[in-house]
Amino acid sequence: MAPKPITSPVPDAWYPTLSVFMLAIGLIVTASFFIYEATSSRRNRSLAKELVTGAVASVFLGFGSLFLLLASGVYV
Amino acid sequence: MSMGFRFDLLLFTIALLSVPVLSDLILSKVDRRVDLTSQIVRITSTLKVENEGTDLVSEVLLAFPDNQAKKLAHLVATPNEGKGKTKSSAVSLPVEVVQPDGMPPALTFYSVSLPKGLGKGDTFTLDVLAVFTHALQPFPEKISQADIQLVVFYETAHYLSPYMVKVQSLSVKLPDARIESFTKIENAKIQGSEIKYGPYENLPPFSYSPIVVHFEGNQPFAVAQELERELEISHWGSVQVTEHYNLIHGGAQSKGEFSRLDYQARPYIRGASAVRRLVAKLPPRAHSVYYRDEIGNISTSNLWGDHKKTELVIEPRYPMFGGWRTAFTIGYGLPLQDFLFESGKKRYLNISFGSPMDEVVIDTLIVKVVLPEGSRDISVSAPFPVKQWQETKLSHLDVVGRPVIVLEKTNVVPEHNQYFQVYYKFNSLSMFIEPLMLISGYFLLFVACIIYTHADLSISKSSPSYLAKLQWDEVQAAVQQVQNIISRCLTIHDKLEASLRDLSRSGDVQACKAARKAFDGLLKDLSKDLKPLLAFLQSSPQAAPILPKVEDLVAKERDLQEKLMVKHSTVVDSYEKNSGRRETENRVASQQQKITALRQEVDDLFEIIDEI
Repeated sequence: MAPKPITSPVPDAWYPTLSVFMLAIGLIVTASFFIYEATSSRRNRSLAKELVTGAVASVFLGFGSLFLLLASGVYV
Repeated sequence: MSMGFRFDLLLFTIALLSVPVLSDLILSKVDRRVDLTSQIVRITSTLKVENEGTDLVSEVLLAFPDNQAKKLAHLVATPNEGKGKTKSSAVSLPVEVVQPDGMPPALTFYSVSLPKGLGKGDTFTLDVLAVFTHALQPFPEKISQADIQLVVFYETAHYLSPYMVKVQSLSVKLPDARIESFTKIENAKIQGSEIKYGPYENLPPFSYSPIVVHFEGNQPFAVAQELERELEISHWGSVQVTEHYNLIHGGAQSKGEFSRLDYQARPYIRGASAVRRLVAKLPPRAHSVYYRDEIGNISTSNLWGDHKKTELVIEPRYPMFGGWRTAFTIGYGLPLQDFLFESGKKRYLNISFGSPMDEVVIDTLIVKVVLPEGSRDISVSAPFPVKQWQETKLSHLDVVGRPVIVLEKTNVVPEHNQYFQVYYKFNSLSMFIEPLMLISGYFLLFVACIIYTHADLSISKSSPSYLAKLQWDEVQAAVQQVQNIISRCLTIHDKLEASLRDLSRSGDVQACKAARKAFDGLLKDLSKDLKPLLAFLQSSPQAAPILPKVEDLVAKERDLQEKLMVKHSTVVDSYEKNSGRRETENRVASQQQKITALRQEVDDLFEIIDEI
C-alpha cells in the first residue's frame, strides 16, 4: 500500500476566518444566554432552554478558541 | 617542526612482523583522496580488492588506528561501478566493527561484507568514505585576533591495511591558502592546493608512514557541543521543529583582547577564523521561523526561500573566536503533509535526522519526537545505530502527556542528515479530545452561571425583606405569564386578520369559518389560563402598583378581541350574502379604526408594564 500523506481535517488557511466567525457566533449566543438569565424571573425560567443555549455557545466558543490557538501558531 | 609523531612507529614495525597472513586478499590498487577544505575531514578511498587464494572471500577488513577510530563519525562503503555510473544510486554495503584474532593492538577493524563472494582471481572495487571530526588540530593552539589559524593534520602516506597493497596513491586537498609545511618523503609533490603522495608499489600489510600537513585553515570551526532538536507533531496541520544549539568555536583559542573596531574595519583580516554566520537549509514551505536566545529575539537573521528549500542565514550576537561559546534557539513549522504519512494502519513521520546547518559538527545530538497524545505502538527506524528511550511531555491541552521518543547520537556530521522514520498508531477521533476539552470548559462556566442564578444565597430565610423579595418574584412571574398569554392572543388576532385576507383572495368561506372556530377555542383556553393569574395578582399586596395597568391591559385585549370578532363575522356574513365589496368595506371601516386604536393602546401598555 502506497504511503498516503496525512493532512489536517481543516485546511490551515481557514483557521483565522473560522476562528473569527465561530467566536462571533459563540459570543452572540453567550450574550443571549446572559440576557435571558438577567431578564427572566426566577420562577418561569426554563432550565432546558438555559442548558441548550449554554451548550450551543460552548460548542462555538470551544471550536472558535481552538481555531484561534491554531491560527496564532499554538498547534495543540 | 617540534611536534612529535603521534603514532609509535616501533609498535607497528613489531606488529607487522608478528601478524599472520589474514587471507589471500590483496589490494591491487588504492586511491585515497583527503578533503581538508572544511573542519570535517573526509577521506574517500577507492579500493580494488583481488582474491589471490583459492577460498571464497566475502569480507574485506578496513583498519584504523584507535585514536583515529575515536574521531570517526561516519563510515560508508559503496560498490564502485565504474566511472559511467553515478555513485549515489549504489546501495551501501553493510559495515560492522570486528575484532579478528591475532591482530596488532591499537587498531580498530571494520568489516565490509561484499555483495557476493570473491573466487580465485576475482576483483571487486569499492569506495569507502570515512568522515572524521576534530581531526584537524590547531597549531599554534592560541592565536590573537590578527593571527591566521594554522591547523595540523596527521595521516599515513601508506594505506594502513591488513592486506598487501600493490599500487597506491594519496592526494590531500587543502583550502586555497598557505601551506606551512608537510612531510616530504619520496614521491611527494604539491600541485596547486593539493599535495600528492605516491604512487607507491608493493607494500606489505600494515605499512605505515606518518605524514603531517601544517596549513592555514581559516574555515570556521563551528561545533555544537549539544544540539537538542524537538519535533512536535500536531495532526491539526504542523510539525513544529525547535532546535537548541550550544555552540563553541572549536579552532585555535583566542588570546589577548578583542577589538570590535579592528574587526568591523577589516573583518577578513582581524578575525579571519571567526564564525561570522551560519546557514541553515530548511525544508521548503517552512513557516513561522524564529531565531532567539535567552535574552530574546536576535535580529541578525535573513530568510528567503523558493519551492526547493528555505534558507536561513543567522549571525550570532557576536563574532565567535576560538573557544568562544554561544547558545541560541531556532524554530520553524513545517506543513504536515510533507512529513507525515499513512501506510496501512500505521502513521509515520519521515524527517531528516541531523541539523540543517552547513558544516557543523555536533558532539551530542538529541532528537526528540513528540507524538500526539494517544499514540500507541511506537517504533523507530533509523539508518544508523542510535541510543533511544521514551519520555512523556505535558503540553497544551494535555491530560496524560504526549509520548516522546528520544534519540541520541554522538559525533554527528552532515552525512548523517538522512531520513529516519517514527511509526505509531493513532485514532483520528483522539484529535477531537482537545476541542472537547475546550467545549466542556466553557460549558462548565455556563453551568456555574445557571447554578448561581438558580441558587438562593440569602442567609436569613425568615427576614421580612427576604419574604418581600420572594413575593415580588412571584408577582413578576405572574405578570410575565400574563404578558405571555396576551402576546399569544395578539398573534391569534393577527392570524384572524390573515384568514380574512385569504378569504378576500380565494373566497373560500368554509375554510375561513373553520379557522375562526379553531381560534375561538384557543382564545377561550387562554382566557381560562388568565383567570387564576389575575386572581393571584389581585390578592397579592405587592402587585398593587402594577395591578391597574395589568387589568387595563387585559380589559383592552378583551375589547380588542370582541371588536375583531364582530369585524370577522361581518366580513364573513357579507361574503355569504354576496353583498358588494364597497358596502362591506364601508361597514368594516369604522370597526377597523377602533381596532387599530385599541391595538396601539395594548402595545403601549405592554411597554409600560415591561418598564415597571
